[in-house]
Amino acid sequence: MQLVSNASAQARAGSGAPILSCVDLSKVYRMGEVDVRALDGVSFELCAGEFLVLLGASGSGKSTLLNILGGLDVPSDGRVFFGSEELTLADEAELTAYRRHHVGFVFQFYNLIPSLTARENVALVTEIADDPLEPEEALGLVGLGERLEHFPTQLSGGEQQRVAIARAIAKRPSVLLCDEPTGALDFRTGILVLEVLERVNHELGTSTAIITHNAPIASVADRVVTLSDGRIQDTRRNTQRARAADLRW
Amino acid sequence: MWLTALNRKLYREAWRLRGQIVTIAIVLASGIVCFISLRGTYSSLAASQLDYYDRFRFADVFARAERAPESVARQIEALPGVAIVETRVAEEVTLPIDGMPRPAYGRVLSLPAARPPATNALFLRRGRFPESGKNDEVVLLDSFAEAHGLEPGQRVPVVVNGKRRALRVVGIVLSPEFVYSIRPGALVDDPKRHAVLWMERSARAGAFQLDGAFNDVTLKLAPGASEQAVRVGLDRILARYGGTGSVGRKDQLSHRILSQELDQLGMLSEMVPAVFLGVTAFLVNLVLGRMIRLQRPEIATLKAVGYSNREVGLHYFGLVTLVLLPGCVVGLAGGYALGRVVLELYARSFRFPVLEFHMTPGLMVVAVVVSAAAALVGALGAVRSAVRLPPAEAMQPPAPPRYRRSLIERLGLHALFGASGMMIVREVTRRPLRTLFSSFGIAGAVSLLILSHFGLDSLLGYFEGTFRREQRQDLAVVFARPVAPEVVGQLGRLPGVLTAEGIRAVPVRIVHEHRARSSVIMGLPAENTLRRLVGRGGSEVTIPADGVVLTKTLGDVLGLRIGDRPELELREGDRRTVKPVVVGFVDESIGLSIYARAGVLAALEGDLGAVSSALLTVDPRELEGVEAALRRSPHVIDVSDAAGDMQRLLDMNTSIMNVWTMISIALSGGIVLGVVYNNARIGLAARARDLASLRVLGFNIREISGILLASQAIEVLLAVPTGLWLGRVWAEAFMRGVDQETFRWAVVIAPRTYLLSAAVTVLAALVSALWVRRSLDTLDLVGVLKARE
Repeated sequence: MQLVSNASAQARAGSGAPILSCVDLSKVYRMGEVDVRALDGVSFELCAGEFLVLLGASGSGKSTLLNILGGLDVPSDGRVFFGSEELTLADEAELTAYRRHHVGFVFQFYNLIPSLTARENVALVTEIADDPLEPEEALGLVGLGERLEHFPTQLSGGEQQRVAIARAIAKRPSVLLCDEPTGALDFRTGILVLEVLERVNHELGTSTAIITHNAPIASVADRVVTLSDGRIQDTRRNTQRARAADLRW
Repeated sequence: MWLTALNRKLYREAWRLRGQIVTIAIVLASGIVCFISLRGTYSSLAASQLDYYDRFRFADVFARAERAPESVARQIEALPGVAIVETRVAEEVTLPIDGMPRPAYGRVLSLPAARPPATNALFLRRGRFPESGKNDEVVLLDSFAEAHGLEPGQRVPVVVNGKRRALRVVGIVLSPEFVYSIRPGALVDDPKRHAVLWMERSARAGAFQLDGAFNDVTLKLAPGASEQAVRVGLDRILARYGGTGSVGRKDQLSHRILSQELDQLGMLSEMVPAVFLGVTAFLVNLVLGRMIRLQRPEIATLKAVGYSNREVGLHYFGLVTLVLLPGCVVGLAGGYALGRVVLELYARSFRFPVLEFHMTPGLMVVAVVVSAAAALVGALGAVRSAVRLPPAEAMQPPAPPRYRRSLIERLGLHALFGASGMMIVREVTRRPLRTLFSSFGIAGAVSLLILSHFGLDSLLGYFEGTFRREQRQDLAVVFARPVAPEVVGQLGRLPGVLTAEGIRAVPVRIVHEHRARSSVIMGLPAENTLRRLVGRGGSEVTIPADGVVLTKTLGDVLGLRIGDRPELELREGDRRTVKPVVVGFVDESIGLSIYARAGVLAALEGDLGAVSSALLTVDPRELEGVEAALRRSPHVIDVSDAAGDMQRLLDMNTSIMNVWTMISIALSGGIVLGVVYNNARIGLAARARDLASLRVLGFNIREISGILLASQAIEVLLAVPTGLWLGRVWAEAFMRGVDQETFRWAVVIAPRTYLLSAAVTVLAALVSALWVRRSLDTLDLVGVLKARE
């Protein structure tokens, strides 16, 4: 589809040009009798090959932003672009195709399919993607080459999250969107998962956005955007990216 | 205390589950509708029959003779066990009604002067009984009067002994002897062509030279008397007067057909509701089980705050009441409505003074209790697990389902399915019992459709496969008495008659060892061209020149084998007993007959080969002329067109079948809807998270619909062939339940019926699946993924 082809080309070129951008984004939820403004005039971009951390406390609007960027939700106001294509004008089928071919998601609670093995969970995506990695290759990248035939209940939380990452990257997405990927994990396992994300960004050049409330994680990013009360509070660039292995929290 | 907090919880949950509750209630209601309508029709008919027979003194034993002096009645009365004897004069007549190509066949029966008959009393529907001394007054059987629009005051033409008379109809009556009005030897009731008239005895006897004599007698037995013993005595007494062998009530034509119909109805009323109740139990278990699994924390809370196990159990049983209550109300009302329709179908053919659909309290109680039992059995397992759950354990989420590598992976077949295919395979194989029960429920629906249709298919199968090949004549002519073979020759020379063959039929009693049956031996021409013997498989049997061929069932009943020599007591001529050799069997579908070549029968009878009926093929252009000639013949008592009879039987069955088909489509559709809808709903509830994940990964609605509904598709795919097979098994069981000595039609199920059953099932499944599929459009991707598993 037209919406995505130009953007993919830019992403692959690693030009550093914006691959995802939004202008004046607002989102209002109606919760019973009151309106809750989750996003309030957010303008923001994610560049090709960039490793970005969206930092914010619970309720700051970061998940809402990520969902809108990933085509899971629509804004109340403002525009979202994938490359030069406007996502806010896309219909349901176009959004589905956008997710299918260009976005990889990683969630806090993994969302693996319990009835499928690790390999099959990844195959779920590779079977519908255009030029995917082999499931074995993707699982190898996250260090699970030996656990291909295990069902989710036979894997630890960290392993399950790594399967989820393998599933997200197997389609060679243009962007990888991670919502609190270490939120349900202990410190040691969390580091392991971050290392995997770091490696994917480095080796595949996938533009990656991680949202977290965990401030120390921000030091592994190229750029850190801090959200508060639905607005961007601060944007800073790390002159020196820390290695995930060196993190402590 | 009706609206306790716990009850409020129940109502809110019921509201949330309303789709599922409604569909289960529909299945339950369908079961009750079937039970009430079928069982109610059965018991209404049976009660009417019993009451009618009792109040109008329907006889226990029937016998005919040539001419017996009235004093013989005293001898019969003296037989031990005989309570009432009623003698009468009975004669066969024809009624040349204007506008009918062939005259109607009629029987004139005498009524005692100045008193009602002691047996087989008449119910006067309109008009009055004949007045004493008025020898042209008759009362007429209601079905014939109705078919011709005859009313009291009109005259009806009757040919008695070759003389045409116009008799005055003074009353229209019903008789317990003719609840089902059928000509002897006919396949189906034909009210237009079967008349029964009653007139005063003095008027009859004169016409038949039977003054002070009778030729027909009916008996009522004393309580506890042996029918067999009375009949042996009666036959012995009447043998001298040309008795043709007595008949017990069981074999009285109208009674036998009514009883068969009742037997079939009784069987159906037990078989059909069982399917619905089984499915109801399964669905209640499915839905309640799922609800209780989801409500573990709530059960724990209830117990933690002090609710007893009993209260928790009753709370969940409460949900069953919400299925039962509307199910029973709708079921009883629907059953009453449908029952009246079904009874009306029967009332067309079976005539009673009073026939009303009775939904007795007993019937309703049985329906409600059995349905409640089915639903409660379904609920029991689920509720027990809720009651047994210790509060501390209930606080924990249930253990996640365990998936294992199955045979499919070990065989390396999983590559064929792909990852989304494996989701489906594992879902189906992880709950094999649910898949199995669901399939079985749907198969039940398929089999009901077959059951509603196989009767007509079998009838058609018999018509096409056997009847047309067996009976090749255009007209069958029955003579009032056996005639010389030359008469057949004369018929053959009528202009337009192409061929004419004579047939001799002699009533006999066949005895072998201690077993005996009444039967008829038919003498067929050596080169039988028009009447052939055709077995159920379609094979033709030729009659050897040296013995008799028996209907296979008759051979089986008597334990006869080829080469045996049973005794045949002939009930005609000099009433001799002969012992012909059995030379073959023919596996026929109807009746118990004996066949021999005409020459063999003549030798057995010791005469020159009289004939009792003739089969004709007629040039269709000359049919009217031939029928006119037959109308004028003094020998002819009945002319029938067997193919026409058969066609009427088919037409009548088709119209009844159409009603049944509509009903069974609605009922089976209800089952399929219940099973597929509930399974899909539960599948959706249990897998919403997986499906939302797939949507996030880029699967479109069509793809996830496929994954959700594939399990249901597999169940339907398994169910259709199983149901087709089950339908056949049922149909065969049903046929076996029918009196085997009368009907043994091979079960035929037409491809059209299989197709219809499969199509209705698949269509109902599709509708239910699409109904559930709509919810996928509104699947909350973000919400589902936020929640912890």
